[in-house]
Amino acid sequence: MPLQTGYTVAIAQTALALLLAPGLVGLIRWLKARLQNRRGAPVWQPYLELRKLFAKEVVVSSNASWLFRTAPFVVFASTVAVAFLVPVLAAPLPFDSVGDLLVVVYLLLLGTFFLALAGLDPGSAFGGMGSSREMTVAALSEPTVALAIFALALGAGSTNLGQIVARTMADPAAAVSPGYLLAFGALFVVTLAENGRLPVDNPATHLELTMIHEAMILEYSGRYLALIEWAAWLKVLLFFSLLGNLFVPWGVATVLTWAALGWALATLVAKLVVLAVVLAVFETRVAKLRLFRVPELLAVSFVLAVLAITVSFLVR
Amino acid sequence: MSSGVLAVSMIAGYLGGALVACMFSRGRLVRWLTAAGALVGGASALALAGAELTGRSSGNLHVLGYLARPDLGGPQQYVQVLHIVDPLAAVFLAVVGALAIPAALYSVGYTRAWEGRRSLRMPGAMLNLFLLSMSLVPLAGSIFWFVLFWEGMAISSYLLVMTEADEPETVSAGNWYLGMTQFGLGFILAAFFLLLPPDGSGDFTALAKHAATLSPGLKSLVFVLALIGFGAKAGLVPLHVWLPSAHPAAPSHVSALMSGVMIKLGVYGVLLFGLRLLGGGPAWWGGLVLTLGAVSALLGVLYALMEHDLKRLLAYHSIENIGIIFIGVGAGMMFLSYGLPELAVLGFVGGLYHTINHACFKGLLFLGAGSVLHATHTRSMEEMGGLIKRMPRTALFFLVGAAAISALPPLNGFVSEWVVFQALLGGASIPKREVAVLMPVAVAMLALASGLAAACFVKAFGITFLGIARSHEAEQAHEAPASMQVAMAALALACVVLGAAAYAMVPALGRAVAGLGGLPPASAVTVSWRLSVPLSAPGAVGQISPLSILLGLVILLAAIPMALWLFRASRALRVSDTWGCGRIAQTPRMQYTATAFAEPLRRIFAALYRPTEDVSVDFHPESRYFVQSIAYRAHIVPWFERYLYDPVIDRVIAWAARVRAIQSGSLHAYLTYLVGALVIMLGLLMLWGR
Amino acid sequence: MDSAFGQLTVLGSSLVLLCGLTLLWRRGSAAHINAFAAQSVALAATAGLIAVVTGGRELWVVAVIFLGLKGTLMPILLKRMDRRFGGPRELEPYVNTATSLVIGGLLVVLAYIVTWPILDVSRLPTRAGMPLAMGLIFVSLFVIISRKKALTQVIGFLALENGIALLAMLGTYGIPFIVEIGVFLDALMGFLVMQIVIYRIQETFESIDVEQLNRLSQ
Repeated sequence: MPLQTGYTVAIAQTALALLLAPGLVGLIRWLKARLQNRRGAPVWQPYLELRKLFAKEVVVSSNASWLFRTAPFVVFASTVAVAFLVPVLAAPLPFDSVGDLLVVVYLLLLGTFFLALAGLDPGSAFGGMGSSREMTVAALSEPTVALAIFALALGAGSTNLGQIVARTMADPAAAVSPGYLLAFGALFVVTLAENGRLPVDNPATHLELTMIHEAMILEYSGRYLALIEWAAWLKVLLFFSLLGNLFVPWGVATVLTWAALGWALATLVAKLVVLAVVLAVFETRVAKLRLFRVPELLAVSFVLAVLAITVSFLVR
Repeated sequence: MSSGVLAVSMIAGYLGGALVACMFSRGRLVRWLTAAGALVGGASALALAGAELTGRSSGNLHVLGYLARPDLGGPQQYVQVLHIVDPLAAVFLAVVGALAIPAALYSVGYTRAWEGRRSLRMPGAMLNLFLLSMSLVPLAGSIFWFVLFWEGMAISSYLLVMTEADEPETVSAGNWYLGMTQFGLGFILAAFFLLLPPDGSGDFTALAKHAATLSPGLKSLVFVLALIGFGAKAGLVPLHVWLPSAHPAAPSHVSALMSGVMIKLGVYGVLLFGLRLLGGGPAWWGGLVLTLGAVSALLGVLYALMEHDLKRLLAYHSIENIGIIFIGVGAGMMFLSYGLPELAVLGFVGGLYHTINHACFKGLLFLGAGSVLHATHTRSMEEMGGLIKRMPRTALFFLVGAAAISALPPLNGFVSEWVVFQALLGGASIPKREVAVLMPVAVAMLALASGLAAACFVKAFGITFLGIARSHEAEQAHEAPASMQVAMAALALACVVLGAAAYAMVPALGRAVAGLGGLPPASAVTVSWRLSVPLSAPGAVGQISPLSILLGLVILLAAIPMALWLFRASRALRVSDTWGCGRIAQTPRMQYTATAFAEPLRRIFAALYRPTEDVSVDFHPESRYFVQSIAYRAHIVPWFERYLYDPVIDRVIAWAARVRAIQSGSLHAYLTYLVGALVIMLGLLMLWGR
Repeated sequence: MDSAFGQLTVLGSSLVLLCGLTLLWRRGSAAHINAFAAQSVALAATAGLIAVVTGGRELWVVAVIFLGLKGTLMPILLKRMDRRFGGPRELEPYVNTATSLVIGGLLVVLAYIVTWPILDVSRLPTRAGMPLAMGLIFVSLFVIISRKKALTQVIGFLALENGIALLAMLGTYGIPFIVEIGVFLDALMGFLVMQIVIYRIQETFESIDVEQLNRLSQ
């Protein structure tokens, strides 16, 4: 596809992801509220939150350093960089040769790293607790992610996102192969862990016993908090896009025509809604795990990834 | 400049620096001259290696040959001594030279603290001799010179470790270090001697020729002996116990050199034996190296997590990264034995690239830790905090190093780990499926190790530099002297550049391993502004562009504040107390400590650590309702020291105690021993003569 | 093997194995019994699928027996046993949960290595699921040796029998009917004997923690 339009589509797809992310989280919250017999805030509530936060004054702790002030920008920049790499609408795009699935995972780790440091900067106990727990969960989900990537790459022959998508589209039977399904299960658990959803972390409460992500960003306010929250919502959307477009890639545009892109947009929205419903139902169903039960959940996802590899790797 | 001139300037530089230190023992000029000697030597070494790697060298270093063995005469004298034998040696020489420059610069500022307390004679001279011997080890072309420089390296580093011998733990660290070095040397010598051809020539080419005629069993024995010997130097588990005590005990620039360069020479030794001398072998060699590497990587980082001594933490991370290097090397060896040359090149390149990168960021981290030690006079993280405001530049450089070692894109640590991952992915091509299973296991262990490393460095950087100062020294800390800052800045810049320049590094390293042990002469890696590596499936390519990622992140970091300004977001900012959920007072005691940060992981991996906790509470004398102080101590079980080394050491000491019986102190007894030995020897000579 | 039939049988076998791994993950007896019931249902479904495609009538009978007895009746009996001798809801296993799961994964890999020679020889489209069945056998054995509660060990034994049945179905489209019934009756006998033994343990020690059996030697 011509390079110029490829770049335009990449930028457009990132902007689209940024615009849709608060709506997605708003949808999840609204669904959970309805499932819990509440009315719930409207789906566009997160947009209003962002607008409010960007207009507010920032209060910075006197103990904090320049790291506290730059961390929101680093987190946002790294998540937006990932948005350029993930096949949200079309694949392969020009940025496909810049980063593959491993780059995506480690760019997200970059954001987590700086956020954890920013939690320690103001010198409060909550921040330390959040940082410590967040890094523990992130470190323990790494092997699962690596093995899931391995399982996907085995089929496609490369860790390149474009090639993985292309391979599944070329061979539809692979999409329901047990290897892929197991890898999907493993990545779904990792999505819960990395995005701080139940049962790993509760994004709705601010109680110290249940916080991981919220504890790290407790000292943030104003536009910094807006950037961090938006980056977190964008991360949810990107994970959903990965789950949807890597495992069920039909709808992803392979040519850059208006028709293909429109269809890609429609299927993307459909996949996001489906995954949002699944997540909302799941979160309503389970209770939050104690911190020391989370490694057991992550071990389950690890075993799923091991099974995915053995099923696809050793029987060929 | 011709290679001969560069080599002479290298040796002259080091020796000059050593001489200056020996003659005078104090004074600012002496410190600068000593460092200058090391600088000149390092720069020459780097230039020499660079010339070799880019193909512009002028071959053998005849000058040195003539100087060394003039008695031989004729062409033989040139063969036996020093010459850069292959680009692989040049890579390691480059590592030595590249890290020598910042370390030397750093030592100027660091040794200022010793003025009046310590003589500069020994540290300065030994630093230069250490660098000299490390530079000459890769250049050695025969057993004699190799062992000579190897031992020189060991002894000079031992003396450097013992610089601050007034502390008891330094003496113990030195003893461990010396013991393990000699232990390793024994195995290395055994491996060399098994390879000796009948005519006794110790030259490496002769050894390689003779090795080709040996039986596979003997070759395997040689490889295992070499692996043990060089693994002890590199710090492979279970031969790693000396590393966490010796590296922290040395002065910081020496720690940087030891961790960054010296242990890599262990890697060089394994590659020397595995590829050059023995020419590749059965797959289990690579599998053994891979397994040991994976285990070292995981155990190294798990023990690093529990440390709150900053330099010990960094030393354990060196064990982890050596593990990662050996994972790459092991994978390469396995692919080589299964006839998959492109993947083998990928594995070796990953290992070598990580060698260079680790030297870079570990050197930077040790220099940073040294600056912190210099400023706060303590190595314990529990007494630091808030240093980012007192030492902003050191903090920035340490952050770059921490991000690099945590494998965060686009820095160099990420790129070399990516290459190793891609090599392991190729494991799908291995025909024997029982063996291919090793690759996903290694991938999982590598990923876990790198995730835990990120967690560990959040702890290391966060507790040391962020928050509020936890002790008086930390409150009074001052920024490091300019020479130290410049050294750290250079290494930080190198970390960024080495990552972005991956597209040039990888092909260069591919050329470095070309031709060894049957690897293809030309690297199959393409050179373009992005890094492309061929993978196992036909036509499949793995591609990343660290340069683009770097540019992209920089552009985004600039664009976001601009976008905020454009959309007229509020720019108000107010500095106030930490909110902390509405708490009013904030004292340093309320922060997380390093032990607290690592506590979840200590609990999760309790099966390995077997932690024990010790809480002692001091009550107020008046009433038990008021607590004066609580002390919390957490211990973990040091498995290797307690269950592997201590029994062996105890048995050796018991045996030595029994042998000591012959030392009765009586002159007559000793004379009797002498005469008896003489008689026995005469008798044996008579018997053999017959 | 790439046919839809092959994929579906592997899917069924994966579900059966995952239910077996759930025995390592969840701790309460209720969860274990539900996992066993689900496993038997999945096994019955797989048997039914194979019966549909291969047209073997015996497999239909086997599937119905699994569904009826192992999917419905035995869980009811087990729940009754649990109510009678329940005891504390959780007992710490010998090996903690996360480690057990990792060991379970490794056992599945081991099962693959063990079953490779068979995979090379067999020509059936269902052969891809055999390593998973073997993995279930290993995992059930691990459940039996690493859990402390006698009830869990019984469930592990029943899961083991499920695994053997699955292996037989995938490998040879079912073993001869007589042999199948014989194996099944063996398991039933074992189950009844264990029920009696657990009753006796409960009477003697007031708990069904098999650690207590050590006290018999005193």
